[in-house]
Amino acid sequence: MTDTIIKNATWAISGEKYDLSLTTCEDGKHPQLDGITLTGVERCEPAGKLPVPQGAQVIDAAGKLLLPALFDMHAKVEISGRSKRESVNRTGQAATNGGVWAMLVMPNRGFCFDSAPNLDSFRDAVEQRSSAEMYAAGCITLGMGGEQQAPYNTLAARGVRILSDAEHVPANLLTLHRVMKYVAELDMVLAIRGDVPELTRNTYMHPGATSYRLGLHGTPACAEEIGIETLLRLAADAGARIHIQTVSTAEGVDIIRRAKAAGQKVTAEVALHHLLFTHEDVGNYNTNYKVLPPLRERRDCEALIAGVKDGTIDCIVSDHTPCIPFAKKQDFITAPHGMAVLDHFLPALYTHLVKPSLLTWAELVRACSTAPCGIVKPVDEYDEPRVAPLMLFDPSACGTVQAAQLACGTQNSPFIGGELCGSVILPLQ
Amino acid sequence: MKPRKDLITIGSLSDEEINTILDSATAMKDIFTKSVKKVPALKGKSVLTLFYEPSTRTRSSFEVAAHRLSADVTTFTVGTSSVVKGESVHDTIDTLMSMKMDYIIVRHKNSGIPDVIARHCKAAVINAGDGAHAHPSQAFLDAFTIREKYGTVAGKRVVIIGDILHSRVARSTSTILQRLGAQVAYMGPGPLVPLQAHTGIPRFTNWDEVFDWKPDVIYLLRVQNERIDTPFFPAGDYHQAFGVTEERLKIIDDLDLGIMHPGPVNRGVELCDAAMEYRNCLVCNQVENGIAARMSILYHLTPQTQNND
Repeated sequence: MTDTIIKNATWAISGEKYDLSLTTCEDGKHPQLDGITLTGVERCEPAGKLPVPQGAQVIDAAGKLLLPALFDMHAKVEISGRSKRESVNRTGQAATNGGVWAMLVMPNRGFCFDSAPNLDSFRDAVEQRSSAEMYAAGCITLGMGGEQQAPYNTLAARGVRILSDAEHVPANLLTLHRVMKYVAELDMVLAIRGDVPELTRNTYMHPGATSYRLGLHGTPACAEEIGIETLLRLAADAGARIHIQTVSTAEGVDIIRRAKAAGQKVTAEVALHHLLFTHEDVGNYNTNYKVLPPLRERRDCEALIAGVKDGTIDCIVSDHTPCIPFAKKQDFITAPHGMAVLDHFLPALYTHLVKPSLLTWAELVRACSTAPCGIVKPVDEYDEPRVAPLMLFDPSACGTVQAAQLACGTQNSPFIGGELCGSVILPLQ
Repeated sequence: MKPRKDLITIGSLSDEEINTILDSATAMKDIFTKSVKKVPALKGKSVLTLFYEPSTRTRSSFEVAAHRLSADVTTFTVGTSSVVKGESVHDTIDTLMSMKMDYIIVRHKNSGIPDVIARHCKAAVINAGDGAHAHPSQAFLDAFTIREKYGTVAGKRVVIIGDILHSRVARSTSTILQRLGAQVAYMGPGPLVPLQAHTGIPRFTNWDEVFDWKPDVIYLLRVQNERIDTPFFPAGDYHQAFGVTEERLKIIDDLDLGIMHPGPVNRGVELCDAAMEYRNCLVCNQVENGIAARMSILYHLTPQTQNND
């Protein structure tokens, strides 16, 4: 029984206009466009071809874009000093505002997914308080300490498919090699970033004119690149599927491109901020631009965008890291890493990448929705695959971002005070 | 000239401010020759020295400078304070501001801390050295010393030698000298001298290149082993490779070059003993001028506490 009709919506990928009738029936067959299932839609016809039944509610979507909601496969939800449920609630709201229907949550100090009880308490909080779906990435090592392996069988039995210690990289290669063998056996994915801890200890930003001026020691790009090469070699040997997190350098993209060409089972992601900002944005110790790995040079941004376009980089992620205002008011060395970008994820992607024609909508949908969903493979409680819902996006709604608008509960967003275009209507109904 | 609250970096100052501070340092130095070495410029003002890192010269130099301007000086000793209990810098400053300090002179191992403090409080904040970032009062005393010795800084050629990477002195002194029209070059062990592309300053790696460049002043930085966590130098040959040896001192003497060093000198590492006695060794002048420069800096700043009390 249809009671809502959406008219004149523009399918973002092709630019063609469609009329849709929505259904609340979950198990029916849904139509597809460009290979993407239109979840929640009963019929989809070219604009003007869909009859409107008597009494139906009609939403005029002229000028609005229709696309699948985004899947963010790298975010954190914990806000220190707040209750876990409150953190989950706020992050879920921020995700919905930013066009994200589901996310893969990285472990951190508060939500350390290294045991069944920790996982269960998180899932309870999500079920009760989150407007967005949240899936947990299990820890690689207990407490993300880099030494003792987490209970992988227990985590796998609870549906965990991805293992990650977030930004932490076990320094011991023997540990990593063993982890990869477990990952291969259990058909999991190891999500990890490239790093050589000896090379990056006590470093705070990309080495260059800005780091020299500020007297901050530089994080060499080669540390990340050697790290990626090492991970690829270990994974190839162990037969493990790995996902390289937060690639930040041009050479890192090339290394992954070569590995893919050689047929290795590897996927990769880039954080939105590594596509948009450079080390110069740190300016005069602006802690909102302190991220891990650090912001690099313009040529790295360009190489990363090229990597997204040719599919070397599978996903664009938010790497959303809420930090309480006090933490970011400290000096650059003491302040924590991370940006809170979920609230404006899609508007920022649109304003800074699609609008200036750096990415197409098709590339954005692939990198931010279908590809991450394909890696994480989210399932519901009956083990049925979950599919992205649809959303409407109004690209003409432009405005200045105010700190007070942020649902995520923190203010470490680089977009505050800037102009962003686009507002999200999610869920559709 | 707009009143200035803080001195964090040389880069934040206008040319006019740099020249004003240098000029009034000359006037301050005249006070030293009087029988009463004190003026009432900062009478009734409270000056706090907040040193999170050990320091003898800079701290006592600032304290003498403040005393000569008739200010009341309080010394905050980090080692015996709540800082060792993990108190944040913000909370320490809030506590100290409740005591109505007008000037805070701060040194910290983290680059950027004085900037955070300056934005957080109404007192005038003077950066007395933060990590590898800046040491503006050292820059002023260095520029003052060169100006005093040669009559002008403009057109002089200064080579700064040593661990540039970890040095706030190199960053601040090179900046002020360039702003005053001098030319600056860096020389030191390869891993410790940043690329010219990052600094905009010519980069040498040996003494032959230094002498070919025809400098007027050789400025040696202290080897700061306490700031270096992993070995940077090939074992044992720093003095031979980068120091002023007795042979090099002869060349320096022949060329009539000045020698400077921010102190404290590691004898036998940066400078041989004889170099300390060399006729153009300006190290003691630097110490004396440090007081004049710091008096001038204190005099030049305007705490916001004055307007709001």
